[in-house]
Amino acid sequence: MQKLSTRHLLGIKDLTPEDIELIMATATEFKEVINRPIKKVPSLRDVTIANVFFENSTRTRLSFELAEKRLSADTLSFSAAGSSVKKGETLLDTVNNILAMKVDMIVMRHASPGAPHYLSKHISANIVNAGDGTHEHPTQALLDSFSMREKLGDLAGKKIAIIGDILHSRVALSNIFALKKQGAEVMLCGPSTLIPRHITELGVTVCHDVKKALAWCDVANVLRIQLERQQIKYFPSLREYSLYYGINKKMLDELDKEIVLMHPGPINRGVELTSDAADSHHSIILDQVENGVAVRMAVLYLLAAQN
Amino acid sequence: MKILIRSAKIIQKGADLNGQVRDIFIENGVIRQIGEQLSAEADEIIEGENLCVSLGWFDMRVHAKDPGYEHKESLYSLEKAALAGGFSEIALLPNTKPTVQTRESVHYLRKSGDIIKFHPLAAVTLKCEGKDFTEMIDLHHAGAVAFTDGEHPIQNPDIFLKTLQYLSPIGSLLINRPEDTDLTHFGQMHEGSVSTLIGMKGMPRMAEEIMVMRDLKLLEYVVETPFAEIDTTLPLLHFACISSAESVELIRQAKAKGLPVSADVAVHQLCFTEDDLMDFDTNFKVNPPLRTQKDVAALWAGLADGTIDTIVSDHNPQDDESKNLEFDMADFGIIGLETLFGVANTYNVGLSLEELVDKLTIQPRKILRLTVPQIAEGAKANLTVFEPEKEWTYSTIISNSKNTPFLGKTFKGKALVVIA
Repeated sequence: MQKLSTRHLLGIKDLTPEDIELIMATATEFKEVINRPIKKVPSLRDVTIANVFFENSTRTRLSFELAEKRLSADTLSFSAAGSSVKKGETLLDTVNNILAMKVDMIVMRHASPGAPHYLSKHISANIVNAGDGTHEHPTQALLDSFSMREKLGDLAGKKIAIIGDILHSRVALSNIFALKKQGAEVMLCGPSTLIPRHITELGVTVCHDVKKALAWCDVANVLRIQLERQQIKYFPSLREYSLYYGINKKMLDELDKEIVLMHPGPINRGVELTSDAADSHHSIILDQVENGVAVRMAVLYLLAAQN
Repeated sequence: MKILIRSAKIIQKGADLNGQVRDIFIENGVIRQIGEQLSAEADEIIEGENLCVSLGWFDMRVHAKDPGYEHKESLYSLEKAALAGGFSEIALLPNTKPTVQTRESVHYLRKSGDIIKFHPLAAVTLKCEGKDFTEMIDLHHAGAVAFTDGEHPIQNPDIFLKTLQYLSPIGSLLINRPEDTDLTHFGQMHEGSVSTLIGMKGMPRMAEEIMVMRDLKLLEYVVETPFAEIDTTLPLLHFACISSAESVELIRQAKAKGLPVSADVAVHQLCFTEDDLMDFDTNFKVNPPLRTQKDVAALWAGLADGTIDTIVSDHNPQDDESKNLEFDMADFGIIGLETLFGVANTYNVGLSLEELVDKLTIQPRKILRLTVPQIAEGAKANLTVFEPEKEWTYSTIISNSKNTPFLGKTFKGKALVVIA
């Protein structure tokens, strides 16, 4: 059996192109599984997984929990609210206490960039990064790639525009790494205050005109405007953002080609996407959610096989 | 309406007709004929001694008091004062009440003005408080020609930086009057020997220079952003009301480095110094403050070598209630539209007439990305007719406010009429 090059999934940055191919191939098999009448396989029957969420999450957490259940893993979930974190316990102590209960794998979301990397130096369990601050969100990028490949096949040479708040987005960074490793071209689009100054060093281009980006791309991956992460002002108002960077169905219809529209959710309807665009035939937003379970099953399965 | 300008020397740096004496015939606002000894029949003939004609003059820094402070200056009285000074277009600061921060206020200014064209400068931050951004892209599309918090220098460097970043893709301009206000608290005048002599709290020149340095550093950071597509032939940052010699030098060096920056000087800085404040005359109370002879010389040198692009009036009408007070209780500001050309032409050091006129016509329009009109047959007339040698005494104030130190002074050079 083929194996991943890593014991943890901390970020896409550390994966090899072969790792990505392996995850994609495995996810294809699991997608077939979850569409059967009996959606469950016994693969991780003897594996215990803790979902440790120090930051709010709805779909990522549900998606991981479902993936774990489909693989027959034992799971426990933990959220920062109402936990000993509130009482001042350190991250390492919290996780070690969980591990003392004989847990094999940790799925963690944390607000600090690098928190899972820090943890990986101190514990032996496999770690899956479910989002670390504004750094990486590897399973999101993998499910995005999986969804694009379902529509477009091989991503080599395909043009992907990532539109919105790039600066605060872990989805953007993981997507850039994943897409570049698969040979795709990446363009970033958004107000210049929301684009990291040195981002072009990653081999991407930058554009400030949404219409140009849409005309260029095969796939538009539209990001959520992260008002909750903006303690500093980066743009005037949601109204102005939606007027000049929002996407509506008319803009998609005016293109001389079909493009694929994606969004990692949750959508601010009427801000980055109007409802008629989000619900149009261009959109594969709900496919992304479905694929999320299959991709996370693949990741958990492949990491468990490392032990 | 048919107007004939008789035997006027055309003043326009670099133009084919520069220095040529011509008759110009204008019909219904369009230049029909430019020639010698034209025999057209006209409703009005404009004649004079040493008559000159140029593109309509442009003042890119005027404090609008309408809406909100119409008792100081309404747009109606402002237009009359500007026309008397020879201006066909002026740009208005956003410090009105309400602040120019909505489409409606931009439209209000744009549709006002009978002969004169008013160009709105919109606020960068709401109420010019330096905190939350206005909808700058939307205001740009509504017709705001540039962005500035006007009387309020932008203190927060992050707000300043993000404004430059936000404006660069739409090709608009940020105007900042450099003053670190933490260094000028309660300051009334230039910090120097006179402020010491008369016991007045001073504003050190470094308050301006530090902010010029800071702003230039932030501009450089934005311009050097790897993905920035900035047209460096147009300024992204414009310094308003430069008053210190060292600021001039800093801007000179920045321009030599190729940074997209421009600057203006207020006309009263070109003739007065701190010495004029010895009598506590509040008509000399202005911000930035009147400085020293060394600064005046440096400002003229900056104009002559192109470091400073344009001269502005910084026309700031204040009523008697704001000025006829103890010095430290009085508001800052001088009205200057009516006297700008006379002052600049009279105190001129080192500029030819065509260079001076260039700074009042083409340069400000270029900075604000506005179409430069033409003196050509078939072109829409946008002209100022003036007499550069005429001696006159400023005896009647047309502006609604009277806060000027120029009253009763005699100048050389006056606008005769604006045709636009």
